[in-house]
Amino acid sequence: MIKFHPSEQHLVLYAAGELSPAMLMMVGTHVDMCAHCQSHVQDIEEQMASKLFGDNEQLARRASFDEQQMLQAIFNSQVPADSVPIAANDSLYLEGQRFALPPTLARNHHHIGEWSRLPGKLWRAPVRVGGEEMLNFIYMAEHASLPEHTHKGNEATLVVNGVFNDEHNEYRDGDFMLLDGNHKHSPATQNEDCLTIAALEGPLHFTTGLSRLLNPFSSLFFK
Amino acid sequence: MPSAQPDNPEHAADLLAKIASEQSRAAFSELFRYFAPRLQAYATRQFGNEQTAMDLVQETMTNVWHKAHLFKPDRGSAATWIFTIARNIRFDLLRKNKHRQNDLSADDLWPVLAEQNDSLDDDYALDNDLLMQQLAVYCEQLPKAQRTVIELIYVEGKSQQEVADALEIPLGTVKSRTRLALQKLKELIKHDD
Repeated sequence: MIKFHPSEQHLVLYAAGELSPAMLMMVGTHVDMCAHCQSHVQDIEEQMASKLFGDNEQLARRASFDEQQMLQAIFNSQVPADSVPIAANDSLYLEGQRFALPPTLARNHHHIGEWSRLPGKLWRAPVRVGGEEMLNFIYMAEHASLPEHTHKGNEATLVVNGVFNDEHNEYRDGDFMLLDGNHKHSPATQNEDCLTIAALEGPLHFTTGLSRLLNPFSSLFFK
Repeated sequence: MPSAQPDNPEHAADLLAKIASEQSRAAFSELFRYFAPRLQAYATRQFGNEQTAMDLVQETMTNVWHKAHLFKPDRGSAATWIFTIARNIRFDLLRKNKHRQNDLSADDLWPVLAEQNDSLDDDYALDNDLLMQQLAVYCEQLPKAQRTVIELIYVEGKSQQEVADALEIPLGTVKSRTRLALQKLKELIKHDD
């Protein structure tokens, strides 16, 4: 059972495509793993669609365009050439061990770099998705620990497989947590290893774009 | 004039079904006249650029015309499906001019128009290698035509459309062979249990 979820703001900005690339991957992976957030994202998309297509006032302000001409162009068009998608690869290997990747990570497998070993039974592999913020796989072997640390800005962590603890909680598959700069913690594993992905989070913007279709000032966008 | 409008979800879904099954231009025109101007009004305000807005509208509606068969009424409304297509195209348009090497593509984040088997996507937790080995044994027992289709889709990861093109058979035939093969596999697995 997943106990820790992204905020509703995260889900809205994910559905609008307005998070940083690293955070889109993080939230997308959580959504893959969490039926609850999956259906919530569907609701959000439904809401945005009805706001976007239901606003008849915008119609009055639109510039004219030749509908007939565009219709003809569409009827005469070829089936959009599928830019041959890079085949999804849902296997991630480390030291001979195989991890199954959720769909968002599997479809973006080609962004995953090489593993490098860190002191203290830890490994790291970068996921290069563009943008300012780093996205990394962090693997902790059994009985590994990170020294107590704080973060500059927010750090988001998602458990892909396994379990780890800090002084506050235990985190398992699918759990998504966001720690702010004041939050000290020292993650550690016990008898099980743990694969996570982690990203530093920049500020959230609700000022432009599709997410603005929804009111960001209500504590809950939807009932 | 039809009595129902495309803002009625059932009617919009019916129109998409008609476009998918019989390439109905009348059905598409009706959808287009409702959705295109609304998209365009929104996109113009968003982009502040008429041409980019028009590109978004045309690309979105072109996908609706060609990919209507990928709309799944049980997953959400027609309006939401069209919204997600536009969301993806907007996402890619905003990155297109930057040419950055590692950028994410919208289809890899939200596979709205992926022609793939859903169950493969949902069951990422299954150990695929083991599963494939077991399934290979059952596949041997399928008629050759069905086995070929199954192998191309599930082993080589081709879409149903790509299989149809490769074998030069209609898409409908690929779909029915897939369905029959999966039924047969289900029976074989059940029988073995």
